[in-house]
Amino acid sequence: MAEAGGVSVRKAFTTGLWTENPSLRLLLGMCPTLAVTTAVRPALTMGCSVIFVLVCSNIAVSLMRNLLKPHLRILMFTLTIAAFVTIADLFLKAYLPEMSETLGPYIPLIIVNCIIICRSEACASQNGLVVSIVDALGMGLGFTATLCVLGSIRELLSSGKWAGFEVAPKAFTPWAGMAMPVGAFVTLGLMLGLVNLITKKKA
Amino acid sequence: MRKQIMLFVEESWLLLVSSVVCGAALASVDAWWGPKIAEQQRLKFDRLARAIVPQAQQFEEAVPGDQMLVKVGAKQVPTTIMKAVGPDGKAIGWVFQAEGSGFADKIRLVVGVDPQFNTMQGFGVLFSNETPGFGDRMKGPEFRDQFAGAPAGGLVVKKTGDRGTIDADIVAMTGATVTSDAVVKIVNNFIDQIRPQMKAKGLM
Repeated sequence: MAEAGGVSVRKAFTTGLWTENPSLRLLLGMCPTLAVTTAVRPALTMGCSVIFVLVCSNIAVSLMRNLLKPHLRILMFTLTIAAFVTIADLFLKAYLPEMSETLGPYIPLIIVNCIIICRSEACASQNGLVVSIVDALGMGLGFTATLCVLGSIRELLSSGKWAGFEVAPKAFTPWAGMAMPVGAFVTLGLMLGLVNLITKKKA
Repeated sequence: MRKQIMLFVEESWLLLVSSVVCGAALASVDAWWGPKIAEQQRLKFDRLARAIVPQAQQFEEAVPGDQMLVKVGAKQVPTTIMKAVGPDGKAIGWVFQAEGSGFADKIRLVVGVDPQFNTMQGFGVLFSNETPGFGDRMKGPEFRDQFAGAPAGGLVVKKTGDRGTIDADIVAMTGATVTSDAVVKIVNNFIDQIRPQMKAKGLM
């Protein structure tokens, strides 16, 4: 279960899911985490887009890692990431136009999402193809899971729905603030506190 | 000089090759999905146009293949005028795309007016990126309903007033005066410039 670089494939996968979860432990990609989690569907779409871009850019960077000049590497990362983000953006416009509109500029903004450039620099430029792909999947799934949990809490409390379906009893009074930025900050803060509490207990 | 060129190529060949490969890949994807994206935009225009003029049986270009130019800032923006055709085959309104600057980004609207260009039938939002919870409330009925039946052109934004009274005064959305102002300016600008062109072409 190990590659020449010495990084275990299993560890590469699980790291992104929990111990180095990009949103909850590294606090990377905060802009989409706060902005697109008003409901589960946009959160899931954003997560899937990030997984696609992360996997593709890690593959590209890993394949060209021995050819990269140190002073041009960030430029190369940005170029490859921008190409894959544009493909994801065009796909959403063609097949999920309403979701593309809901997510607005946050899909093109994946280009400057620090999770992706961080994994290109910290993992893909130093490891083989398998570890790079598994690392991208782990990080992407960890990010997507966080977004979906945050989106679920906010959608449920702000509208009584989950993924568009009515789930709350009729007597439930929606918390309008949860759909607004304040709801994102408060919920994320509580989630970070909970994760810190759990990891502290384990240590 | 030759040495310098060789050094440049040696240092940057990967970047140059990657740029060409990425450019070619994006051009292919755009050629592949471009028609689908255009189709989605056309469907959205149709959906909004039908919501504005629900009695219309179909929409057809007022002058096939012809576009009218509207000055927006320093730019000339082309727009296609669509005729809303009623059950008896007569024009029951005109629908066209209008655009201008909003608070955060460009705003693109579908505007509907009556056959004489005297009264508005309403508007729909084709594209906007206004602040959620504030400017994006322009898509809601509270703000939009003020336009259906209002005079075509000469609309004025008021900070307070009765939204139920349909006239040239458009009551701004609370906390989104810039967006309210932008929508009214876009509507006024396009109607004011399209009306004389329609008259000149003998369409009304």
